Amino acid sequence: MNRSRFLWLIASFVTAAGLVWIWQVVADNRLVNPVFLPGPDRAWMALVRGFTTGDLDVKLLATVERMFWGWLVASLVGVALGAAIGTSPRLRAYLSPMLEFLRPLPASATIPVAIALLGLSDGMVLAVVAFGALWPVLLATVHGFSAVEPRLYEVGRALGLSRAAVIGKIALPSASPDILAGMRLGLTVALILSVVCEMIAGRDGLGTWILLAARSFRAPDLYAGVILLGLLGYATAVAIGLLEARLLVWRSRSR
Amino acid sequence: MMQTQLQQGGSAPVISFDRVTLAFGDRTVINELSLDVAGGQIVCIIGPSGCGKTTALRMAGGLIRPNGGSVRLLGETLTAPRRDVAIVFQDYGKALLPWRTAAANVSLALEAAGVPRSERPARIRLLLAKVGLTGHEDKYPTEMSGGMQQRIQIARCLAQEPAVLLMDEPFGALDAMTRQGLQDEMLSIVAETGTTVFFVTHDLEEAVYLGDRVIGLLANPGRIGIDLSVDLPRPRNQLETREMPEFLRLRRQLFDFIEKAEG
Ligand SMILES: Nc1ncnc2c1ncn2[C@@H]1O[C@H](COP(=O)(O)OP(=O)(O)O)[C@@H](O)[C@H]1O
Ligand SMILES: [Mg+2]
Repeated sequence: MNRSRFLWLIASFVTAAGLVWIWQVVADNRLVNPVFLPGPDRAWMALVRGFTTGDLDVKLLATVERMFWGWLVASLVGVALGAAIGTSPRLRAYLSPMLEFLRPLPASATIPVAIALLGLSDGMVLAVVAFGALWPVLLATVHGFSAVEPRLYEVGRALGLSRAAVIGKIALPSASPDILAGMRLGLTVALILSVVCEMIAGRDGLGTWILLAARSFRAPDLYAGVILLGLLGYATAVAIGLLEARLLVWRSRSR
Repeated sequence: MMQTQLQQGGSAPVISFDRVTLAFGDRTVINELSLDVAGGQIVCIIGPSGCGKTTALRMAGGLIRPNGGSVRLLGETLTAPRRDVAIVFQDYGKALLPWRTAAANVSLALEAAGVPRSERPARIRLLLAKVGLTGHEDKYPTEMSGGMQQRIQIARCLAQEPAVLLMDEPFGALDAMTRQGLQDEMLSIVAETGTTVFFVTHDLEEAVYLGDRVIGLLANPGRIGIDLSVDLPRPRNQLETREMPEFLRLRRQLFDFIEKAEG
């Protein structure tokens, strides 16, 4: 089990290294105009330069903050609403069609509405990010709460648990794998929307960095920003993975 | 526990079905069932599948309410589950919280009863020892065998210090050796505490081996078809008891009953 995981890890690193190498070969042989495609070496140098002489760290932090706060609001609201809907069959029957209608709407479509209501402000960005990241959390939470083993509710009744205890000790832990999966998706959505909002509303961050680099044909800077976004996405996935491993020990252990 | 000890000799029934009728939709599953269970007795319920054994047990647990008649526990009409009535479900895999260790699963009953946090560890250790799970406190249910999982559930029920133990085919999914072990453990625990037991099973030998009384239900609608008292000496013994002429006679009688009931 551990051995095969290790092999998978090696294989994925080899694949990644191979892609970077192909990128380098393509760039070195000028198969694509270098104005549009610098090699990984130049992109990396631009990244280092951005952090040492530029203010890429400030922009990175700004994007991370936008993503984090939006995600946090989405998670709190999503779990609370999802718990209410998921534990009440009546509410679920009533709201499900509406949720299904709203769900497939692309979150970026809410940006013009948000701008009209809130202007080009940080509040607008927070609203858009939170609203977009809300859906995956909400739907996963609804599913998690509605899929609680009915027998466990009977156990709760037989033991005489209070309603709060049934939610806190039975329903919430039972739904937690779904909730965490929803929060993982929500974080990805939050990152995407933070960057898109920065680009559209001109708020300072990685999004504007990438957009400005593209407009002024600074391809290495552009790729540096994109690489950083990829790393950021990867880091958040790892962080959530660690959280899951901690909270869901019981799932990884079995006979 | 004091209370049940007193009940044991007393005449008032601990569980009392009084002309109980239950229907799901327009289908009457149990019709005018009357049945008194004396304190400290182990009453085993058998009957063809679908005859309403589980339904009767769930009514005794207060999980469902009869449409007609009444179910009384220790003299009080039952309207909702009570803490002094514990239910052991057959599907231990679903009745345990997979995210809690064996100890934490037992703790749930103590938390529900408002036992102070500081008193819980000692109580849990005692309860797990009682069902033979010492040393397995920190294992998750999925790390344990079926027999051990059912032991956790029994320990959790004992944590309720129940006057009545309702068991719905609790050993039905276990292999023969494990089942016999758990039967004897249950008998010695019950003998110690004087708990009244309402035990549903489809295993006729198990019913005779455990019971002071065996009741056979008939189906459509569920009603009492046979009511035997079991006069076998206690403590019972897996080899000796099962070879006694009285055991064989009762087994034969129940076998004939089931054959007729199903035919
Ligand atoms: N929740 C329910 N809704 C409708 N019918 C049910 C329900 N529970 C049990 N029944 C029906 O009631 C009858 C008795 O069920 P049950 O008490 O589970 O039988 P047993 O435990 O003796 O096998 C069966 O025919 C079953 O289909
Ligand atoms: Mg049944």
